Amino acid sequence: MITAQHLTKRYGDRTVVTDLTFTVRPGTVTGFLGPNGAGKSTTMRMILGLDTPTRGHATVGGRAYADHPAPLTEVGALLEARSVHPGRTAHQHLRALAHTHGIPRTRVDHVLGITGLTDVAHRRVKGFSLGMGQRLGIAAALLGDPATVVLDEPVNGLDPEGVLWIRTLLKSLAAEGRTVLVSSHLMSEMALTADHLVIIGRGRLLADTTVTDFVRDCGAGTVTVVTPDATALVRHLSAPGVTVTADAPGRLTVRGTDAEHIGRTAAAHAIPLFELTPGTASLEEAFMDLTRDSVDYSAAPEGAAA
Amino acid sequence: MTTAVQPYRVTPARVLRSEWHKLWTLRSTWITLVATGALTVGMGVGISAAYDGTGEGGLDPVMFVLLGTQFATVNLAVLGVLATAGEYSTGQIRATLTAVPRRLPVLWSKAAVLAAVAFPLCLWTNLLTFPLAQAFLSDTDQSAALGDPGVLRGLVGNAAALTLLAVMALGLGAVTRSVPVSLGVYIGLVMIVPELLRMLPYAVVDDAVRYFPAQALESATAARTGPEAASPTAALLALALWAAVSLAAAATTLRRRDV
Repeated sequence: MITAQHLTKRYGDRTVVTDLTFTVRPGTVTGFLGPNGAGKSTTMRMILGLDTPTRGHATVGGRAYADHPAPLTEVGALLEARSVHPGRTAHQHLRALAHTHGIPRTRVDHVLGITGLTDVAHRRVKGFSLGMGQRLGIAAALLGDPATVVLDEPVNGLDPEGVLWIRTLLKSLAAEGRTVLVSSHLMSEMALTADHLVIIGRGRLLADTTVTDFVRDCGAGTVTVVTPDATALVRHLSAPGVTVTADAPGRLTVRGTDAEHIGRTAAAHAIPLFELTPGTASLEEAFMDLTRDSVDYSAAPEGAAA
Repeated sequence: MTTAVQPYRVTPARVLRSEWHKLWTLRSTWITLVATGALTVGMGVGISAAYDGTGEGGLDPVMFVLLGTQFATVNLAVLGVLATAGEYSTGQIRATLTAVPRRLPVLWSKAAVLAAVAFPLCLWTNLLTFPLAQAFLSDTDQSAALGDPGVLRGLVGNAAALTLLAVMALGLGAVTRSVPVSLGVYIGLVMIVPELLRMLPYAVVDDAVRYFPAQALESATAARTGPEAASPTAALLALALWAAVSLAAAATTLRRRDV
């Protein structure tokens, strides 16, 4: 369980995080979404006590991170990809962290195995690819068998197989009852992995919702139908998982099926259709709409550059 | 997992163990330490072998034999700076302070580990260099025995002084968080600033310069205290103070500043 209370971080006169309050619950994967520069990494660093909040505070498992007697068993974190001295081997790096808590060597070997690094465990990190570096960061995060896992952009630099592995890993960690907070700037990635969403832009909370609600609210997967014979169409469309709402007389919004099926059903029963429009808002578009005003570096319109 | 009794816990001894492990798992450590020992022995023996016995006189027998420790003042400082500032340049510090979020045990452990390595290394190197060099000096004005007044004290004092200098550099590395900046400050403080200050025509400045790191190192090393130098005890106390101030500044920075 992570709680952030009125978290605020200012660097000079630049406010990076403003009055952020949210809770991350155990047993679910919470996606921490926002465009680049929204303050995700800064927030995660405040949760881990690396940065001190200007105002507000964050707790993990009911206490400030630094107040835990064995912090690595409380929170495992993957921060920026490289928090490793490149001159050490993967095994040496993990051993150094393990020593601080009295974690045995067998556990080090175990997390190297989980992350698929056993074969390169004794190679210096200097020669690691971006993906191997991410895997080592995740191995370090899992080292203390933590109750809470915080991962900053874990899929960055991973190949498709690695991305799939992360998704499965995150879900299984949550299924074991752990608290999982994972940041991303990609809505599509989060929609596949997360149950809950905390969306921020320019350091402010924009949404604290579930993926299901977000999907419903943004209108993705709906089809708008205009027909003079709405009653008959509704009767023929009714099936498990399909919901139909009447927005106006003769105007229906259908969820749970697609335009093709509606069109064919209408044709089969000779129901005239005046309009059949698939909802165009994708998750990514809805996310961009939400964060449009808070994107730090949007592409300048053509001709703007002098 | 959450409810299970965890034997895992951060303790000062475990942080010390971790820092010990970290020091020895870097190639730069081995290179620096071997270079320090080899240069001290090599310079001492080389200069002694080449010495024709008709020096200008007035050279201190311990200072003469340990001329090679000039390299150690830089080498060991590099080792100290790499232990702290090196973690910032690589990003390792984030992993280190996530494991030990109380932070200060990391600094104390780094200083302790560095001292525990530097002091024995310098001491054994000095105890080896002196007889080896003396083998070439038996008929010269630099001839001396380990039992002569001040000789053993000078060899031990030099090792202690070099260790304190290295700890001071380690503190500078933690304050500046940059390898080049901290080495610049260190070299300025040890080699350049005292020379500039000496040009000032004030007696009080001359008195103060005696307690600067390099001058104190000389006083701690010399078998015979020169007329213009601090006593060996005062010199070592001054170096301990330099190291303590540097570590205190490092501790304040580490506690207060974001990583």
